[in-house]
Amino acid sequence: MTDNTRNILDQQVDWHSPKVRARLRRRHRTDFLFRAIGFSAVAAAGLFLVFLLGNIIKNGAPGFLQTSIEVDVAFDPSLLPDPTLERAEFAAAMARVDLQRLLRQSLLDHFPEVSGRADTIRLTRMLSSGARAQLRDILVRNPAVVGTTGKVWLLASDEVDQVVKGNVDISLPEQNRKLKNKELVWLQRFESEGRVSLSFHSRFITAGDSREPELVGVWGAIVGSGLTLLVTLLTAFPIGVASAIYLEEFAPKNRFTDIVEVNINNLAAVPSIVFGLLGLAFFLGVMGMARSAPIVGGLTLALLTLPTIIISARAAIAAVPPSIRDAARGLGASSMQVAFHHVVPLAMPGILTGTIIGMARALGESAPLLMIGMVAFIVDVPGGVNDPATVLPVQIFLWADSPERAFIEKTSAAIMVLLFFLIAMNGMAIWLRQRFERKW
Amino acid sequence: MLNAAIESENEALSPPKMTIRDVHVHYGDIHAVKGVTLDLRPDQVTALIGPSGCGKSTLLRCMNRMNDTIADCRVEGQVFLDGQDIYDSQIDVVQLRARVGMVFQKPNPFPKSIYDNVAYGPRIHGLATDRDALDEIVEASLEKAGLWQEVKDRLDQVGTALSGGQQQRLCIARAIAVNPEVILMDEPCSSLDPIATAKVEALIDELSARYAIVIVTHSMQQAARVSQKTVFFHLGEMIEYGDTTQMFTAPREDRTRDYITGRIG
Repeated sequence: MTDNTRNILDQQVDWHSPKVRARLRRRHRTDFLFRAIGFSAVAAAGLFLVFLLGNIIKNGAPGFLQTSIEVDVAFDPSLLPDPTLERAEFAAAMARVDLQRLLRQSLLDHFPEVSGRADTIRLTRMLSSGARAQLRDILVRNPAVVGTTGKVWLLASDEVDQVVKGNVDISLPEQNRKLKNKELVWLQRFESEGRVSLSFHSRFITAGDSREPELVGVWGAIVGSGLTLLVTLLTAFPIGVASAIYLEEFAPKNRFTDIVEVNINNLAAVPSIVFGLLGLAFFLGVMGMARSAPIVGGLTLALLTLPTIIISARAAIAAVPPSIRDAARGLGASSMQVAFHHVVPLAMPGILTGTIIGMARALGESAPLLMIGMVAFIVDVPGGVNDPATVLPVQIFLWADSPERAFIEKTSAAIMVLLFFLIAMNGMAIWLRQRFERKW
Repeated sequence: MLNAAIESENEALSPPKMTIRDVHVHYGDIHAVKGVTLDLRPDQVTALIGPSGCGKSTLLRCMNRMNDTIADCRVEGQVFLDGQDIYDSQIDVVQLRARVGMVFQKPNPFPKSIYDNVAYGPRIHGLATDRDALDEIVEASLEKAGLWQEVKDRLDQVGTALSGGQQQRLCIARAIAVNPEVILMDEPCSSLDPIATAKVEALIDELSARYAIVIVTHSMQQAARVSQKTVFFHLGEMIEYGDTTQMFTAPREDRTRDYITGRIG
């Protein structure tokens, strides 16, 4: 140390000089500025989120509602099977009944002024094609109604539904509307008689896909997603956790494990559609598994989730303090016992959180599933992992692609269902983290 | 000269529990322990003292092969436990660590109940035939560690909720539950307050009648209080070995004198 530097340190600092005060002011100003920028960034993100969710809910909420029309249906015995038949026989006979004719008659009775083939067709088309199935259900459940006239709430067609919901501008010229003036008059008459109702449509939750927007439901996609995720979980979780434990606790640190680590990290960044191609080439091409099946979708998504699970599980395992390992090892626990008695239980909340986040990502994934054919139009709810199925995001994609106006709200409503499951899964991850987190 | 001193002592006393012969430890290129030769007697406390980084903890970790888990650590020389080389390929390291227990610098109870902390060792080594025997081991170990009276009503409470001193005594109870022959202690009191330290030191004193204890410490006073033999290390070399009283009153080496009077370290 020279005398010169010593002198500098010996000098008294003037904390009140204008220079020092200006510096202080500048510091406070940058401090304030940074906070303001940070706050506005958070606020902007929040605003976008509110706008996005608000838009989806505004569009999607009506998708859970559906218009029904109350029709006086005359269960004409001349058109229907004998109600005194055995139940099974009656049901079998019902399959051959022309319910369209029954419906047409009932509607024409209500509107005696309607005549002519074209108008009759228009009138019957105000009801959904699902109305026949509704009538069949009523008859099969209770054959005693044959010969009586009953008030029945029947689903309206999607065009009527859109008018009732106010989504169609009826002041447009007639040729620009699907629903013509005549039908609007009939609808008005139904409305004036109190025969039109807009109510919660449980079918949207419980049914599978359909060509008709008023008949679609997300249940098929929910079950498809559930089966797919089950396959993903059952394959990706054990493999991922086992890899993570091996890499963290047992594998030697050498060039080979370094390469493995780099590749796992790279794999996590591979575009998902590439995994779809891999699934297509391997599971369908080489293994010859069923197209569109949850088993293939689940395995493909397992490839996608595996890096996420391995990375998060490794982080959770590495976060277990070494002192716990030392303690167990010092007592004579083998490496296996150290890992499975102490490290893994302590890392479990982190592992599960990572797994759930990986599963949530898999739930929202559609691109790889397009490659393996899960984009097919499937009406039936899948009964197992080998049945053709679709998943929620692909269902959303399919509906968004459909031309009918009513699919706009169905798409948004399906997005709401998907978001509900995603929020539930993330909520579960947070709960697990808080419930099992340990402090050292 | 040093070896001759040890040899002459050997003839006078009972056979040593642990014998360390010319042990060198390398971490990669670093030569951490340079040729240590040492005997540990079954009924004595041996204190390892020396400035930080002198290799005393490293040597301690050689005695139950805790260095095995460090990737680039290389141990040369021999360490015998009852005449058997513990670095022999025939030796099962799991059994070795049950015979040579360890207490660490920072209390590290498992985040499990007090009971499970103590019962863990006996369980994995199959020392208890039934639940009653296990209960007995747990009670005896906690009793010996002087913790039984404090925790007997809350054995199902989590071990990490105890105070620092209680945690360290729990770790000692956990170590003695597997009935070891040697207990290695790596600065067991460095994170404890003076009252807890006094309790642990009293405990070490009691345990020394039954176990060979090796303690690494930075506190001269502690070494003087609890040990019968003291070893002084400097820069990986064993400088002096002798009776604790002699070491602290009339050290043979200048470097030892400098260290214990606070001139180096």
